[in-house]
Amino acid sequence: MRRRQLLALGGLTAFAAACGDGESSADEVQLQFMYWGSTFEQKAVEKMLQAYEKANSGTKVKPLFTPDEYDVKLNTLVASGSVPDVGYIPMAMSYRLAEQGKLVNLHPYLDKYPQLKGYLSDAYLWYGKDQLHGVATANEIELLWYSKSAIAAAGIAAPPALAASAWTWDDLVQNAYKLTIDQNGRHPDESGFDPKQVRQFGISSSITYAAAWYGFLRSNGADFADTAGTKCLLDAPEAIEVFQNLQDLIYKHRVAPGPGQLAATGDDVPGTNILLKTKRVAMVVDGHWSLLDMNESKTDYGIGVLPKYDTPFTTSQVAGASGVFAGSKHVEEAIELFAFHIDPQHVDLYQQGLWMPQERKYYEDQAAIDSWTKNDSHPPEFRTAVVDYARDHGVADLRGRLKNLSAINSDVLTPALQEIETGKRSAAEVLKEAAPKISAKMQGWHHRQEI
Amino acid sequence: MKKRNLLLYLALIAGAVPTLLPFVWLIRSALMQDSQMFIAPPQWIPEPFQWSNFTEALTAQPFGRYFVNTVVIAVINVLGTVLTCSVAAFSFSRLRWRGRNVVFAVLLSSVMLPYAVTLIPTFVMWQELGALNSIIPLTLPSWFAGAGGGVFNVFLLRQFFLTIPFELDEAAYIDGASPWRVFWLIVMPLSKPAIIVVTIFTFIGVWNDFLGPLLYLNDEEKYTLSLGLASFQSIYITQWGYLMAASAAVIAPIIALFFFLQRYFIEGVTLTGIKN
Amino acid sequence: MAALSGQRRLERRWGYFMAVPAVLGFVIFTAGPMVASFVFSLTDWQIGGTPAFVGVDNYTALADDELFWKSLTATTYYTLGAVPLALIIAFAVAMLLNQRVRGLPVWRTIFYLPTLVPAIANVVLWIWIFNPDFGLLNSLLRQGGLPTGMWIYDEAMAVPSLIIMSTWGFGNTMVIFLAGLQGVPQHLYEAVSVDGGGPWHRFRHVTVPMMTPTIFYTLVVGVIGTFQVFSQAYVMTEGGPNNATLFYVYYLFRVAFRESEMGYASALAWVLFMIIMLVTFLLFRNARRWVYYEMAGAR
Repeated sequence: MRRRQLLALGGLTAFAAACGDGESSADEVQLQFMYWGSTFEQKAVEKMLQAYEKANSGTKVKPLFTPDEYDVKLNTLVASGSVPDVGYIPMAMSYRLAEQGKLVNLHPYLDKYPQLKGYLSDAYLWYGKDQLHGVATANEIELLWYSKSAIAAAGIAAPPALAASAWTWDDLVQNAYKLTIDQNGRHPDESGFDPKQVRQFGISSSITYAAAWYGFLRSNGADFADTAGTKCLLDAPEAIEVFQNLQDLIYKHRVAPGPGQLAATGDDVPGTNILLKTKRVAMVVDGHWSLLDMNESKTDYGIGVLPKYDTPFTTSQVAGASGVFAGSKHVEEAIELFAFHIDPQHVDLYQQGLWMPQERKYYEDQAAIDSWTKNDSHPPEFRTAVVDYARDHGVADLRGRLKNLSAINSDVLTPALQEIETGKRSAAEVLKEAAPKISAKMQGWHHRQEI
Repeated sequence: MKKRNLLLYLALIAGAVPTLLPFVWLIRSALMQDSQMFIAPPQWIPEPFQWSNFTEALTAQPFGRYFVNTVVIAVINVLGTVLTCSVAAFSFSRLRWRGRNVVFAVLLSSVMLPYAVTLIPTFVMWQELGALNSIIPLTLPSWFAGAGGGVFNVFLLRQFFLTIPFELDEAAYIDGASPWRVFWLIVMPLSKPAIIVVTIFTFIGVWNDFLGPLLYLNDEEKYTLSLGLASFQSIYITQWGYLMAASAAVIAPIIALFFFLQRYFIEGVTLTGIKN
Repeated sequence: MAALSGQRRLERRWGYFMAVPAVLGFVIFTAGPMVASFVFSLTDWQIGGTPAFVGVDNYTALADDELFWKSLTATTYYTLGAVPLALIIAFAVAMLLNQRVRGLPVWRTIFYLPTLVPAIANVVLWIWIFNPDFGLLNSLLRQGGLPTGMWIYDEAMAVPSLIIMSTWGFGNTMVIFLAGLQGVPQHLYEAVSVDGGGPWHRFRHVTVPMMTPTIFYTLVVGVIGTFQVFSQAYVMTEGGPNNATLFYVYYLFRVAFRESEMGYASALAWVLFMIIMLVTFLLFRNARRWVYYEMAGAR
């Protein structure tokens, strides 16, 4: 092809080669680890990599830190055949790469590396029978965060930290009324309430972010798709009820912010810690990862479990994937590094409150639980509101389970949910129209199996 | 005359208010704690002044090294772009040759195709040339009239060259000058403002380029300022105070550059002199 | 063809020679990837997989792609609004900053600042400006007793809102005009003054005609660039609400790197290429009527 012709430009090539850098010596094992993250995570990951090098002399790990546009860079590396050895992979890409044979099937290695066998069953990412391409990088679940002082000022009981005593949806709405205050100190159920000048909203729970509502959906006995994964069930009455309730928070009860009211759009939201600290919102549904920011900004926060319809549920495994890339010259070392990079013994991010472990023992064994939660970053209610809640009431996020979800999301689901969010049409109208369109794009659930 | 001046200053002030807004916003945000930054309605005076945003942000990443790396790439690009783009523009504007307009049209077409679909083949090309993880892919094209995006510069200079009276060239040719002499001694000196524009755009373009360094550089010690800035934002956390402070610091040099270079936009003294 | 004069031969030889770097740059760095992307557009290729030749299937599939039409409409709408607006504002500001006033370097720098402020800081600012409750725009409208809007959060208002936002980016065009104004010969102004023409006459009959090459440049570049508008949709609205701001290249980018469907994305790109090419061609053809060059044969 053209490439060959270009090579004819010998002088240029020589010039380029002279300026490019040489690779490492022969007998040393050289691995490349590709990842994203803030400077905070960058420090923790670099420390982990150094620890790995120390524990495995003769092995060098080159970090490939990619702060943004991760999928552009990874796609380019895949297309040009220069993938790293181990790395994070956006969930939307990981299954495809696995099916294309670009990721190592870890299943044959499970016996050799028993650590790989001990993860939560929802953490494993299967692309076929006995075909395992990776693990979600961290476990993350959705929680009900609240401002302690706002709750105290309203004179209500804090959201329960125990799943068994979770609020019902009606409890949530009632309490949200008491927590919503306009500039004149009026609540939404008082006459003269000014919905354009709300000082403090009672609750914020995203309509467009699937992880925020998937737990509610399951709790109400609904699901996104049928068992075959080819028919969208968002037009079922139970599903419509969940979304209508979310819309009603904004437009009927006026206890939740509508689009734009939090000065937020897309990814550029002020963090949940800031919303609670400034009391723009009293309660927010957001992921466990907020814990790090809460502590860093010294927010006066508390953690509750989500409200329930029937059985309490929360979305878990809200994270990207990690995997080992095929073509690595040192597959075994790469797998060791893979296990190492999600081992709470070597990564500070668990104790600091950004990540939750994937190994089952960190939810079951008291000493193991203490090893990551007994510290200043984790409040007393963490044990029941997060550890027990994740273990007993987590349902894995759709991103790791439903095929073709990223196209479904961007082409049909997100625009439809935005319509619900803007309040122009009822949830029933929007979802009845969207569900068949989503069904047309569905390709089934991903394979699942127990270890 | 007085009244005209008054109107002029009023217009300047009226225009300066909205144009200063983004900058003032950036500076106030850079000096705030994250929790104050998002208070509604917004506040303008930091309380307290969070000067530590600057010190902490600028030490969170090796910004000194990133600065040097970025300047090196920018300077190489500016030199290459100015030199080769003006040579090409001279050919496309003041020399008559067959097929000139067709060639120009083909060159211009290269900026009409979204980069998203040429990115991977371009990357593969540099890979085959063994130039990955070096600044070659980020600099070498600029020495070929900026290849790709640089065509805008050729076009810009061409338009400016076309406004210079052709009698000047003709007189020089009669005196036996070569086209190169006409280019170098007549057209270039008369086109200072346009060359300054190309310099500013190229420099700022490199300064803000994110995707290029992201794709072609792998070692952190080779990273540029824009990559350093991006690391304050991630899917879980955005360190707003640091992000704003570092952003303010990063644009300071280009503000200074513009302030320094805009002086060349002085009424065309040169032209009037020659005409007489 | 008649024998060339010595001068013409000289020009031709130097003309080829001086075009070499640019042509070489195109051939080496640009042409290959362009051809490659055209070949991709004839395949069903998901990055990482093996491309399968499908002929023009990707192109015919576009006709039934609702989002293709939606994005094309949104982008055209945006271009029609943003390009003329930016041009007019930039020209006015350049005129203003070409006057003899005190502190000119400072004024010029101030007016250029919005172009330099990093996108992310700008986005946070504009999210506040557009905020329906306490945002700057609605506060001003409320004080004036005017109806307020939902701006980027409303399907009908989203594109106009982004057009408003885009006008702050006039700086680069302004700088080009500023440079262009330096080339307007003083003696022409003087000639108009001698004939008793006022400032409007000078503007209309000297400044504007002498600036037409520059205006033409900013128009062409504005159209080429704006048809490929991307960043606002990418960082601010993510194409929403309900795809109202799904700009063409943003959609293409999503297909290319989120879905990794490089074959289809390449077809999208080449269709846009044809559209931009056509518009540019029309602009060039039309330019003969209104763009004034020093040399008659310049075109």
